[in-house]
Amino acid sequence: MARKTRLVAALAAVSLALAACGGGSSSKATDTGALETISAGKLTVCSDAPYEPFEYQAEDKSWTGFDMDMLHKIAEANNLTLEVTVQPFDGIWLAPAAGKCDMVASSMSITPERQANADFTQSYFDSYQSLLVRNADKDTLTTIESLSGKTIAVQTGTTGEAFAKANVPDAKIKSFDDASAMFLALESNQVDGVLQDFPINAYRAVKQGTSTVSITFDQEGQEPDHYGFSVKKGNTALLDALNKGIDDLKASGDYDAIHAKYFG
Amino acid sequence: MALSKRQKARYTRYGVYALSVAVLVAVALFVDWGKLQNAMFRWDIVKEQFPRIITQGAKNTVVYTVIGFALGLSLGLAFALMRLSRVRAYRWFAATYIEVFRGIPLLVTLLILGFGIPIATGWQWPNPWMQGAVPLALVAAAYMAETVRAGIEAVPKGQMEAARSLGMSYPRAMTTIIIPQALRVIVPPLTNEFVLLIKDTSLISVLGVTDATKDLARFGRDGVNHSANATPLIVAGLVYLVMTLPLTQLVAWMERRAKAVGR
Repeated sequence: MARKTRLVAALAAVSLALAACGGGSSSKATDTGALETISAGKLTVCSDAPYEPFEYQAEDKSWTGFDMDMLHKIAEANNLTLEVTVQPFDGIWLAPAAGKCDMVASSMSITPERQANADFTQSYFDSYQSLLVRNADKDTLTTIESLSGKTIAVQTGTTGEAFAKANVPDAKIKSFDDASAMFLALESNQVDGVLQDFPINAYRAVKQGTSTVSITFDQEGQEPDHYGFSVKKGNTALLDALNKGIDDLKASGDYDAIHAKYFG
Repeated sequence: MALSKRQKARYTRYGVYALSVAVLVAVALFVDWGKLQNAMFRWDIVKEQFPRIITQGAKNTVVYTVIGFALGLSLGLAFALMRLSRVRAYRWFAATYIEVFRGIPLLVTLLILGFGIPIATGWQWPNPWMQGAVPLALVAAAYMAETVRAGIEAVPKGQMEAARSLGMSYPRAMTTIIIPQALRVIVPPLTNEFVLLIKDTSLISVLGVTDATKDLARFGRDGVNHSANATPLIVAGLVYLVMTLPLTQLVAWMERRAKAVGR
């Protein structure tokens, strides 16, 4: 009997929570977390940070950025607090399966190879590949042909690396573990360009002022990458909650507000 | 019930044996061997690694190690002699160098020297081999300096006194009398240092790698990306063992031999 009442209570709690997110406001009406996570009461997220403007720490060390702002809201709607585990991007989509975190939010593009080992949410952001160069080169390194013989930095295991190997065959491709090392290599003249997602390069160019995005690969026949969050294969409860969260953020206008905050 | 010391030792031993057997049985029963093999030792992926894991990964690791060791040993020898010098400034300089480079992690040294110095000065590393191997050598030099110093100090003072009394100059006595004798003491620890360097080269990839400069560990990690399987890491680990095991065995043999001669 006790069991039944608890079930009813849980159902009531879930419907309350769902009603609450519909309104886009937080609600503390429920005390039973509807989602089971690896660390009770927390949504633990693996992310290759800093990767501005998608995931980084503000001055006060709180996690911020496009991905993180979305997740703060989604976590809140599920009565969870956001906890971030920083992890190299290389194979990051395997981390939830390894028990390191509940999910991955790392400006990660949805690819068939990654889908073989993780379940992805709907896409929440589209991004083209781009090339960041030092200001001195901004008028010369503007085409794929002009990159012949140049050294291009890419991040290991990213779609940018795959794109560079497939589309810029005459350049020397140098792989780095993280975005900060690529920017250091560009600054120290060890590479001529950084090939990665446009929003990250564009943000860097504005923030630092010594580099410029000289190519955006958004021409005919060039497809954008679609970012998604990922969970361990078979974790449909969390996957559904995330998909619903993305829908709700779009419906409530929060998504547009976050988009405007980072991309104007 | 009083047990003799020997009985106690025997029962403890039986306990350890029983525990080991229990752990082995538990592992054998509860591990899904098929799954394990599928995730970590897929034969088709093993075959894919060759020959490039040797001709590229292992080769590059050896190149970084040899440059790092040769440069590190030369510098280490110089710092050891400075530490033993009668000139106070030399001693202080060497001691400071050794403490600084032993106290900073290699990863941090690599980033500071590999990126920081070029950014700060505009000076550029001539090639990626030097960019990776020189920081490795500078750190190794600090450790080797202490090894070499201990070796030199282990040679009885009388040897130097005898050499000097025969009219040899200090440098000549050092290079022809003291260092050759010190070598017998320092070769085993220096070989260990070589093994450490082989493994430390796996950090160099933080400075960025091309296909031509990729070390063995990076090769394995890229293989994991490519195959979505842990097999390339296992293969890379085995290749490291092929390089390091003969050397550690050599050290063990040298130490046994030194003991025998010492008697």
